[in-house]
Amino acid sequence: MAQPVAPFAPVATDKGSSPLGGGQRELLATRGWRLKDTPAAWLLIAPVLILFGIAVVYPLIETIRLSFFDIKGLGKPKYIEFGNYIRLFSDPGFRSTLTTTLIFTVGTAAISVTLGWILAMLCAFAPRETLPFRVMIFVTFGISEAVSGYIWINILRPDSAGLLNSVIGIFSPGFTHPWLGDANTALASLIFVVAWSGVGLPLMLCFAAVQSIPKSVLEAAYMDGAKPLSIMRHIMVPLSLPGVRVAIFINLLGALRAFDIIYVLTGGGPVRATETVGFFMYRESMTQFKLGYGAAATVVLLVAVLIVSTPAIMQRTAGAK
Amino acid sequence: MTVSIRIPSSIRRRAILAGATAALLASVAPHVALAQDLSGELSILQWQTGTDGKMWQEIGEKFTEMHPGVTIREFLPAGTQGDPRAGIRTAIMSGEVVDVIINTWPAFRAELVDAGILRPIDDEWAQFGWDDKLNQSWRDLGSIDGTTYGLTYTYGDRSGIWYKTAHMEKAGITPPKTWDEFLASFEKLNAAGYGTAVAVPAKFWAHAEWFESLLLRTAGVETAAQLAAHEIAWTDPKVKGALVKFAEMLNAGCCGDPAVMFANDLGESYAQIFRADEANYMLIGMWTNSLLKNDYGLTEGEDYSLLQFPALGMGFDDTSSVDTKELNVTTNGSNPEAANAFLDFIVSAEASNIMASYGYASPSKAADASLLGPVQQIATEAVAQSKVQFVLGDLLPGDLVDEYRVQLQKFLADPSEANIDAVLTAIEAKAMEAY
Repeated sequence: MAQPVAPFAPVATDKGSSPLGGGQRELLATRGWRLKDTPAAWLLIAPVLILFGIAVVYPLIETIRLSFFDIKGLGKPKYIEFGNYIRLFSDPGFRSTLTTTLIFTVGTAAISVTLGWILAMLCAFAPRETLPFRVMIFVTFGISEAVSGYIWINILRPDSAGLLNSVIGIFSPGFTHPWLGDANTALASLIFVVAWSGVGLPLMLCFAAVQSIPKSVLEAAYMDGAKPLSIMRHIMVPLSLPGVRVAIFINLLGALRAFDIIYVLTGGGPVRATETVGFFMYRESMTQFKLGYGAAATVVLLVAVLIVSTPAIMQRTAGAK
Repeated sequence: MTVSIRIPSSIRRRAILAGATAALLASVAPHVALAQDLSGELSILQWQTGTDGKMWQEIGEKFTEMHPGVTIREFLPAGTQGDPRAGIRTAIMSGEVVDVIINTWPAFRAELVDAGILRPIDDEWAQFGWDDKLNQSWRDLGSIDGTTYGLTYTYGDRSGIWYKTAHMEKAGITPPKTWDEFLASFEKLNAAGYGTAVAVPAKFWAHAEWFESLLLRTAGVETAAQLAAHEIAWTDPKVKGALVKFAEMLNAGCCGDPAVMFANDLGESYAQIFRADEANYMLIGMWTNSLLKNDYGLTEGEDYSLLQFPALGMGFDDTSSVDTKELNVTTNGSNPEAANAFLDFIVSAEASNIMASYGYASPSKAADASLLGPVQQIATEAVAQSKVQFVLGDLLPGDLVDEYRVQLQKFLADPSEANIDAVLTAIEAKAMEAY
């Protein structure tokens, strides 16, 4: 068995690597670095702040504002306070999308991160030899959701021309199944497809985390007679957890925002069986043009994203200190 | 041909107010200029792509050839892959100013009128003498409570069933004329090796065309118009009767596994019939003619044809569902004279002949009917001899359309009588909110 190697050395953290002098660094650490101390900093970050304001803050405020109005088509907006939110949570269609979103989000994140993590562990034992496989798997992460959807439509075709049906047909002649049209298999198929396209990132993140385990730790375990499975279980798994946490966070956010692939593969059907909050938002806002109602759904989605991302951001921020 | 179309009363009231305002503005606006004075840019909100987009380009080129001082700017809204109305609304709300809008939804026309975007064209109708080119029924179709906003430039038979002639020959049958013959043909087509007689693309839209033509053939245009305006309930026995007939068709094995219907979109269904030879019939709009001629490379009347919806013998076999496309002009367009001239051009012989070459029929009397292909002639003859009703789905309020789609999908999954009642009750509940 090839011995684990660590091509990525741990990031240097010793004080000597900082360009600042010890006293200056300690001063910043104790008093905190403030923007007002450096007016030039404002100038440097101004373009980013302006772009952020135009592209993120303004649309966000406008979406929240719209969510308090009843807007139908090109008709005049009517202020209805929390009317859209009350209606939203009493709408069985929306409640159903919340359940679907939960299953879809947890399902895709669980499958893609677990698979990515396992593959990363296996690849770590032969990093050089598995490079082509890692690249191939990671490429799926770079394919747009819509393109990925069209690829999978042909794989999951309901007739015998579908790749999946024809492969199963080798063992069970004449087998056909409408994977995306059957309410019992549509959501599972969708989760599998999204997990497939999402496995590349966890693989790379977990692989990087495993590779950053100090070589000396692995060598010591090897010299002590630890078997590969023990090394994996007691060293690689716990020490790669930071990478896994980032992968879970990114995959959850990706799944919450998913729209293109759902639109292409199932159109939210059959009979709304694969309609997530993101898709519901699109349908209400863009198909029915009920902008206020759609905006309320968007705000709910935003809150869900905040709930998912806040702990991860707080953890990363705490780590930065 | 008599046309039956009714817009919901709430939309009507708002439309009248908006129409009156727009009429007042129009009365003080500069008078319509003569054709030779035309100049400047004419902006057309044109959302059709592919072959239809090419047709519009050709029409535009012909118009500018006749009016060299005018340049045409086609504005293609974003998101034309799905429902183009989203892109049109977004463009208008974001301040895009156009002179002409291509429209195919009567309910959307009412929405545009309600928002004060459309200019009435009654004065232009008289001035350009469009009565000489279009029957009163076409004017009625483009009107809201007596004020005309839309000039219909093409129409299609939505009760026509498309089929491939070779399939009929292989199954040893002639195109069915009666309902019983139609139901009996499924077995013969299956025996000839075709998997599914009727292709039902129900992925995005529950293929409501079957229900809508059956409603016309079982209860007549007046009932369909009343349903569109919600003057009768969806739970009315006449409405249920149409779904019962639809269930008869499903139970006769027309359409195969509902899960396959839900997996297929329109493009896939076309391919199943006209490329893969796996299915046989599809009830859909006249754009199919252009698609099969231009994109599939088939010969109209030889490779494929159209049969009129089979007769049910219930006293309403002289009815058909139609769709149309019309031009609307805006209140804020920068070149109203050119817009008016373009409307006049679209019902001219020149424009009609271009449309005929793409497989589209014009309602204009100036059109040369002999230029139409054999399939298009079947369709125009059927419409001319029928009492027609506009496509129901395009008349319903937006809130209701989605529920209509989803409930019809539920019906396709389970066409039992108990489920028919549940489906109609659910649509009626939504209709009570929507009107």
